[in-house]
Amino acid sequence: MKNTIRVERAIKNITQAELAEKIQVSRQTINAIESNKYVPSTVLALKMAKLFEKKVEDVFILEETD
Amino acid sequence: MHPLLCVKDHLHMQSSLLLPYRYKFIGAAIFLLSLALGILVRFWEFQFNFLTVVSSQKTGGMFDDKINFTDEIALTGIILGLLFLAFARERKEDEFISRTRLESWQWAVLTNYILLLIATWAIHGFAFIDVMMYNMLTIPILFIIRFHYVMYKTTSFTEN
Repeated sequence: MKNTIRVERAIKNITQAELAEKIQVSRQTINAIESNKYVPSTVLALKMAKLFEKKVEDVFILEETD
Repeated sequence: MHPLLCVKDHLHMQSSLLLPYRYKFIGAAIFLLSLALGILVRFWEFQFNFLTVVSSQKTGGMFDDKINFTDEIALTGIILGLLFLAFARERKEDEFISRTRLESWQWAVLTNYILLLIATWAIHGFAFIDVMMYNMLTIPILFIIRFHYVMYKTTSFTEN
């Protein structure tokens, strides 16, 4: 699974730290998700999509190998 | 209340075995003091005289009927200090950190027994008693190192 969080952050013009603060997680979590080292829970994915005003499918995208 | 805030309760439940964040500092202090005491006991045979208790039973030759509790205090402090360090909550304990915790415990237990197996075959005789002594503490030590290494590594990616 890949995600567009880095792009969405750029659109919103917020840093990893600011995003982490807004959805109440650690900076490490944002970092790990962006670099595809961690797949977030459904709850966290929904929170992120809501913040970016996108559908979850637009932020988190399945890949062939999934 | 924001509807998404209920996730906090969920995360709280996941990590209910943890201690408050400040235990990281309390744990570090207890660990370092007890480690210093432990080293004094181990290598310089240091004892606090007021911690000597005379046993009422005759133990018959092998052990002295006087017991000094300095080493018990040191080991208790080292173990409690390490446990506090390992079980203290992070400032923002969340799902990724919970996962890193579990992974790090798994890694620590596995690595501990690999090291023990190597030591079993490499170290013989009385020296093995030292191995057993240090091995009492390796699981939490390995956990603390690996957990903080992963946390550090995940913070220091390039931000963009």
